[in-house]
Amino acid sequence: MIRRVMSADWLKIHGKGLWFLAGLGPLGLVAMQALNFGLRYDYIKQEYAMDLWGALLENISFFVPVALYLGSTLICSLMANIEHQTSSWKQLLALPISRVTVFSSKLLLCLILLTISCVLLSAGVMILGLVLGFGTDHIPYGEIVRIGLWPYGAALPILSLQLWLSLTFSNQAISVSFGLILSIVSLFSIYLPEWVPLVWPYLAWNSLQPMFYSIFGILLGMLLLLPGALHFARKDVI
Amino acid sequence: MRTLGRVLSAEIVKMSSRYLWLLILASPAFAVLIGMSQSEEGPISWEFILSVMGAIHGMLFLPILSGLFTALLCRYEHHNGGWKQLLSLPVSRGSVYLSKFIVAAVLLAAVQLLFLVCFLGVGWWREAGGPPPWEMVLPRILGSWLATLPLAALQLAVSQAWSSFAAPLALNVTFTIPNMLVANSTTYGPYYPWVQPLIAMSPYGADGNFGALNLPLESLMIVVLGSFVLFFTAGLLSFRRKAV
Repeated sequence: MIRRVMSADWLKIHGKGLWFLAGLGPLGLVAMQALNFGLRYDYIKQEYAMDLWGALLENISFFVPVALYLGSTLICSLMANIEHQTSSWKQLLALPISRVTVFSSKLLLCLILLTISCVLLSAGVMILGLVLGFGTDHIPYGEIVRIGLWPYGAALPILSLQLWLSLTFSNQAISVSFGLILSIVSLFSIYLPEWVPLVWPYLAWNSLQPMFYSIFGILLGMLLLLPGALHFARKDVI
Repeated sequence: MRTLGRVLSAEIVKMSSRYLWLLILASPAFAVLIGMSQSEEGPISWEFILSVMGAIHGMLFLPILSGLFTALLCRYEHHNGGWKQLLSLPVSRGSVYLSKFIVAAVLLAAVQLLFLVCFLGVGWWREAGGPPPWEMVLPRILGSWLATLPLAALQLAVSQAWSSFAAPLALNVTFTIPNMLVANSTTYGPYYPWVQPLIAMSPYGADGNFGALNLPLESLMIVVLGSFVLFFTAGLLSFRRKAV
């Protein structure tokens, strides 16, 4: 059943800017670093001569959490807005499918889009490094994969929250404003204590035990899905 | 003129929702947190407080708020055929568009005023030396507001065109996030419209003249005025030909 619902959702997201956004995020980040490195190439080559790949990863890692949060916010909102915009929740939920299936299908589609984004980011970092001529001898494959995937795992609590908010309120201003403000606050991760989930994508790259924060993020994200799915299953459709 | 006043008052009624005040409060409140927590060597100066409080406010909040406010202004009309209803009234499209822009500008001005109050409050609480430096802060508040208007014009143009709430904001943040890099670049910074609010806000101007409007005149004329004219005209033309 979920496959059929998902294939319907798959059709619905065409031409809504979702694919565009999923590609724009990683490409934007890589393009920013391309400019950054391109403009200051001599300086950076001098400063980080020992570890050019490390310098690239470090520079890009600063923007990954905020890009993940902005991406989740906008993707969840665009996804939920397909039904809000056309007032077709009634129609969709009147079909003989469980609401949990509808919820899961939207969730899985958001996850697929973000996963594609994160894989594109890793690929983009790799290509940028090669184009800038960092050499093929010391390509840190593990780190390149890690920068795409681990902060993503740690960002899942916010994705769950945003999906819940976007599906609940037909007024997308609420979920989008909330997500944008969270994204900006996440730039101050260094000043926040480590138990705040908002900080985890940053710590999933920049800490002694990065993997833990990614795993915590996945667990908390799954935990937060429960109230979201339950609420969606029981809420009145207007 | 009379219709403009009426359309304007209708827009104000539409915008007086509860959530809006939270948005107006968000940036100054965040700036207060930063202003209270950062410290420097020796006695605190007004310039230092303005630079730490204005950094995120000018770099991220002002551009993003300009997008949020304009998206909110068009939200009512995108739902349930509001454009049809509004434009079938005996009002010109130009006055509808202009009144929406005026409301966005007024909301941004409210944010700036609140920011000014918070700035003075933080300075007083942290015992910054001397009386409030009006001639330093007022041109910067005004200048960053002026520098935000072109962004609001662009966002209004895309918000009226795209019916989704999130899509114009995606455009907005795509251009706003690079601010964090562009702000460091002396070559490209002066020509990137999204970073102008930050440049206008910064108390440590390139030439160090604290009295004048902080934007260099050249940058103000070319970038701010030029992008404003371009974005506003493009938006207005597209709105006049918009099929509803």
